[in-house]
Order: sequence, then C-alpha cells, then structure tokens
Amino acid sequence: MTVATLMLVAGCSKDDVPRFAMPTPITAEGQRILQLWQGSWIAALFVGCLVWGLIIWCVIAYRKRDESAAPQLAFNLPIEILYTIVPVIFVGVLFYFTARDENAIDKLSPNPDVTVEVVGFQWDWQFNYLSSANDASAVTVASITGDNAHGSPATLELPAGKTVRFKLVSPDVIHAFWVPAFLFKRDVIPGRTNEFEVHIDADKAGNTYEGRCTEFCGLNHDQMIFHVKLVTPATYNADLAKMELAFKSGSST
Amino acid sequence: MTAAGIAQPLVRPQKRRGSSLVNWMTTTDHKLIGQLYLATSFLFFLLAGVMALLMRAELARPGLQFLTNEQYNQLFTMHGTIMLLLFATPLFIGFANVIVPLQIGAPDVAFPRLNIFSFYLFLFGGLITVGGFLTPGGAADFGWYAYTPLTNAAHSPGVGGDMWIMGLVISGLGTILAGVNFITTIMVMRAPGMTMFRMPVFTWNILLTSMLVLLAFPVLAAALLCLEAERKLGAQIFTTANGGPILWQHLFWFFGHPEVYIVAIPFFGIITEILPVFARKPVFGYKGLVFATISISGLSMTVWAHHMFSTGAVLLPFFSFMTFLIAVPTGVKFFNWIGTLWRGQLSFDTPLLWALGFLVTFLFGGLTGIILASPPLDWHVTDTYFVVAHFHYVLFGTVVFAMFGGFYFWWPKMTGKMLDERLGKVHFWTLFIGFHTTFLVQHWLGVIGMPRRIPDYLPSDGFTTLNTVSTIGAFILGLSMFPFFFNVWKTWRHAPLVGVDDPWGWGASLEWATSCPPPRHNFVRMPRIRSERPAFDLHHPELTGRARTPVAAVSAADGESA
Repeated sequence: MTVATLMLVAGCSKDDVPRFAMPTPITAEGQRILQLWQGSWIAALFVGCLVWGLIIWCVIAYRKRDESAAPQLAFNLPIEILYTIVPVIFVGVLFYFTARDENAIDKLSPNPDVTVEVVGFQWDWQFNYLSSANDASAVTVASITGDNAHGSPATLELPAGKTVRFKLVSPDVIHAFWVPAFLFKRDVIPGRTNEFEVHIDADKAGNTYEGRCTEFCGLNHDQMIFHVKLVTPATYNADLAKMELAFKSGSST
Repeated sequence: MTAAGIAQPLVRPQKRRGSSLVNWMTTTDHKLIGQLYLATSFLFFLLAGVMALLMRAELARPGLQFLTNEQYNQLFTMHGTIMLLLFATPLFIGFANVIVPLQIGAPDVAFPRLNIFSFYLFLFGGLITVGGFLTPGGAADFGWYAYTPLTNAAHSPGVGGDMWIMGLVISGLGTILAGVNFITTIMVMRAPGMTMFRMPVFTWNILLTSMLVLLAFPVLAAALLCLEAERKLGAQIFTTANGGPILWQHLFWFFGHPEVYIVAIPFFGIITEILPVFARKPVFGYKGLVFATISISGLSMTVWAHHMFSTGAVLLPFFSFMTFLIAVPTGVKFFNWIGTLWRGQLSFDTPLLWALGFLVTFLFGGLTGIILASPPLDWHVTDTYFVVAHFHYVLFGTVVFAMFGGFYFWWPKMTGKMLDERLGKVHFWTLFIGFHTTFLVQHWLGVIGMPRRIPDYLPSDGFTTLNTVSTIGAFILGLSMFPFFFNVWKTWRHAPLVGVDDPWGWGASLEWATSCPPPRHNFVRMPRIRSERPAFDLHHPELTGRARTPVAAVSAADGESA
C-alpha cells in the first residue's frame, strides 16, 4: 500500500514498473489509467501475498502433531478491530485515486479538434466526422462504414497529437466501443448519446490499432471489429478533404 | 400407486417396486428434499459444465471448428443461466434444507409441504428454461442478463426466449418460497437455548441469504414478466425512446448483484463450518463473522450499478465507493478464517482441502474485484475475458469448492457413510489444477483485448496460445469429476456405516449430536445448548469448561407419528 501510494504520488513513469499485461496506451487518458492500474495491482498483490503467506504459514506450521485438541482461542478483540480498520484506510486511499482519475477522464473540453459520431449497429460500425462538437450546429462532413460481412472492417482515421470527441449512438441494440489501446470503452446504447474524449499522443502517427464491440449484440457480435489509424495532422487534413468530397458526391468510402 | 376401488392393506408392503421413488417424490422430510435439491442442481451443474467444455473446445484454436454462431450464443447463455439460477441457487437451498433444521435443533422446516412445492417449481421451471433447446429456433441466445432491446420480439423472436423467461419466473418463485421457509424456520423453530448468537455461522448465513432472496428475486420476477409482456402483449416498458435499455439494466442488476451474494454467502457458511472442525478450535471471532456477513448482505443491495460503469449512466463515485467497502467485511472474514486455522491442529482431511482451495482461489477473485470496483480500470476490462476470469474465481471458487467441501463433510450426515479420502484427494487436486489452468490465463486474454461471448477470433489477434492453455485446463477440470463419481459409487456399494454421531470427532454444531443419518424428526435427545458449540460441549466437556450435563430428553416424535 505504502509502496503504491508513494509511486502514485511521485508519479513514477510507466517504464519503471511492469504494465501488468496492459497494451501500450496511445492517449493521455490511457496513460492515467495505466498508472492507476499499476498502482492498484501493486497494492492488490501486496495484500494478496500477505494473506496467501498467512494461509501457507498455517498449513505448514499448524499441521497436526498428535491427536489432542488445539488451544480453544475464540476471539481477540484488539486484533479484530485492527483488521477491520486497516482495510477501511486501504480502500479509502484506492477510492481517492479512483475518484480523481475518473473525473479527469470523463471531462469534456469545449472545443475538441475532431468530433466523430460512432454508430454501432448489427454488426458493423459507421464513423461520421462532424463539423463541431456542438449538437445544435453539427453536420456530418464525411462518413465511413465498415463491411465486416465481407471481411473489410471500417478504418477510423484520426490525427495524432489532437483531441478527439466521440459521440456514441446505436439504432438497434446495445453495443460497446472499445479500442484496447485507449485502455477504455464505453457502451453504445440506443436512445442515448454517450460522449467521451481522448487526447491522442503526438508520437503514435503511422500506427493502426484494433477496435472491437464488447457488448453482446446478437448473432455476429464476434465479427464486429474496426481499426483506428493514427496519422499526422497534415495527412489527416488531406485525407479528410478527400472524404468530404466523396461524401458530398454521395459515395461514402 | 394402486388403482382406486381395490381393497388396500392398512400397512404398505415394505419393498414395493418403485416405492422408494414415490417416497422421494412425495416426501416432506427436509433432509430428503434437501437431497433432491442437491442431486437435481448437481445434474444441472454437469449439464452446464458440458456446455462449457463445448465452448472451450471451440475456442481452443481460431476459426469455427464445429459450432455455429447460433449454437455458441445459446451455449453461453444457457451455461450462465443454469450455473447461476439452476445450479448455485438451488444448491444453497439444498444445503440449507439438509443442515439448517439440524443445526437449530428443529424437527423439520416450518412449512414442509411448501418445501416440496418449492422444489417442484424449481424443477419444472428449470426444465422449461432448458427445454428451449428442443424448440426449432433453439434455446435463448441473448446472454444470461438478457439486455433489452436485444431480447425484444423484434431482435430475438424465438419461443426459446419465452421459455427462458417464464421458466425463470417459475423457478424464481420456488426460490422465493424457499427463502420464506428458511426465515420462518430460523426465527421460530430454534430449540430451547438456541439463541440467535448461538446459531452456527452457516445458519446465520442462510438467514441473511434468505432475506436477500426476498429483496432480489421479486424484482427479477417483475422484470421478466414485464419483458414477456413486451414480447407477447405489446407492452412498451423497455422502449428505447424512454430509456428502456438502462431501466432493464437497473432492474436486472438490482436482482443480479444480490444474486451473486445469494450464491456466495451460504458457501462462506460451509467454509466456516469446516475450518474449526479440522483445526480443532472454535471459529475465531464468531460475532465479528456474523457482523461481517450482515454488512456484506447490506452492502450487496447498494452496489448493483457497478455492472453498469461503462454505460455512462450511473453515479460512479457512489457505486464505486460502496463496492470498495465490501472489501472490508470480506477482509474481516478472511482474517477470521485464518484466525481459526492459527495455532490449530490442522488435520488435512478432504473437507479441509476444499476449504483451503476456496481460500486461495477466492482471495484472487476478491483482489480482481477490487480492481473492477474502480471505474477507470473497469472500463478497460469489463465485458472481456478479465471479467470472465474474475467471476469464475469468485463463483467457482466459492460455490464449487465449498460444495465439494460440504459434500465430503456432510456425506456421513446425509447418507451414514464416509466418502473415500484417497479418491477425494485425487478429485481435489485434479480439479484445483484444472481450474487454475483454465481461468488464470483468461485474465491476460481480457487485458490484451479478447472480448467475452465470441465464438471465434483471428490468428493475428494473438489470443491462440492462452486459449489453448485454457481449453486444456478445462478438460482437466472436466476429468476431475470422474474420481468423484467413482467415489460416490464406491461409497454407496462398499463403505461401512459410520455408527457414531460425529465421525470427524471435533464437530461443534448440533447436527453432530444426532445419528448419521438422523431419524425422521432429527433428534431422539437434545443436548443442553449453552454456547454456540453444543455438540462440542457434549463430546469434549473437559475442553470447554462446561461439564457434561444430564441431557434433556426430548421426544423424537413430539406429538407427530414418525
């Protein structure tokens, strides 16, 4: 616990500690989640090893020696109070970091650089680039639709180093929008618009990442995948201009 | 069985063919009804276990080998439904039926005929739910938590879905009535001297579980009937325009979260019964354990929306904090269990092995539970194999380990014969190794990106090796059932009758102060109950400082003919 707290407070970089199987994050939010993940696992494994150690100690040390009874100790109030209070402090610390991070991650900026409406439907994805994050004035300027039935998932192109707002909508059943490299997902719920934002790292341009539906949505749920491709802002602007032209002429790619 | 009109003898002939079957089917004896529950739920466990093996076989390699998407979706839906509602829940009712009246010194439960009626509601409700497999469209295939709108008539039109809904309403009614029965029994039928704070922890846990049943299951029944009304009668309760999808999730998890405690708390109770007997000590911190269980039960009603963190529609800090808080009483229980072992004389008979297996397994499930209580971490891993691994660690770790512990521990009390120790140890170790091989690697699978509920993945996903390991583990786990079957058969055919009240020698609660198996109404004579360990006081007066007192003679029949 102390170790974990110190590491969180000192803000140790991710290189100092193992990632505990997490993918390398590609957003500022993902970086924050990774640190909470590392701190929580260190705390959890510390407690785990302590308790497993006590169990193993009992198994080794208190193996029966003869057929007599053991000392009939039924309680010990001070130690019971101790092991009630210590966990309270423990979860208080975990909750502090949780509350801090969830507020930071759920925060929306007034003017994100890019706004994408994500439409999850049985069993594919449509990505609509919106003109602004403001619902009243937003219009779709470009659109990409996947074709997973024929093995070609949609590729969502995003500029590295920019802030991206996602608006999640569904016309049919519940889906969930998950990019494992974001270390984040959010449900796509019919009748409701969910929003979240990511600050994409500037140094990840050129890479492509997997995306998946994680809420069971019927027959071909497993095929509902997509890609996220990060490019430099210059490439993004050029590509978006092409997509806008295609969208205006009525043929979305 | 005899046709009407034929003169019948007053005394039924003893060994008539089929008479024992009729006795079982018409009994009102809580011990036999308990065994009906245990046997039926165990058969459901085997059925859902075979479904799990089919799914694991399919997932061993990328590509669809022998299942279609439709079949796979039906399998995971029914696997979850059966394991939670037709195995774990009735299993707790089975153990409670067999043990609770014995532990409080009662001749039976409060409502014996309601008891057998509850069993038939469970049996036929369960058969209706599973019967969906026999319909042309197959069984329900929308996941065991049945999120709308996927479950409405437009998206899941099959009659299998209707049978799933109505079967669960019926079996749920059986569960509610069983809860009523246990609460009444525990409140009003305790023997003289059996105060609340002398009740064994198992009985306490059944009382609290039954209260959770009364809070949770009616909500499930209401939600299911609303869903059926929407499917068949055109009701508009879960319409998307009115926030129906979130409403369903709230209703379902308001049931669903207490449900996971309904299938955990009784099994914590079994562990708490086993540990002191094989440590030859009293349970450590009895009152602390009882208060911890009360806290867990109370908190379990306040955390349902942690299943909904990724919806973006719930108050994160509240549900996160309440979920974290559950770690406190759970931690208290752990330390009390360890305190019970501390400085004991541990005798490693099979029941203790299962209890220790529970401790080490459930601990890891608890730790990943703490991770999942934090929304920023839950967002990444929810609906992935990490969660699949987590809930198998907590549920399998609790229900299955404690079930086998309870079977080995109470087998002599139920049947009069001890299960074979050597086979029991083979059974334990193959199951333990199989379980951890299956589920430990699934944590990694989820974190690196594998969603739950998919029949297939791509070779390029990098999931293949871990899935193959998991599947091998699952088959080891499946094989571990065979030593158990052989053990049951061998014990039935060849084991001698135990002939003593307490074959383990250090039993504390009242069931160890009557014969194995007990007579029809449980006690020929009742020991004085002057502590929470009446059988121990009776058999080891020199250790408890309570000198052997003259037993109060209690009539076995007590006004009824046996």
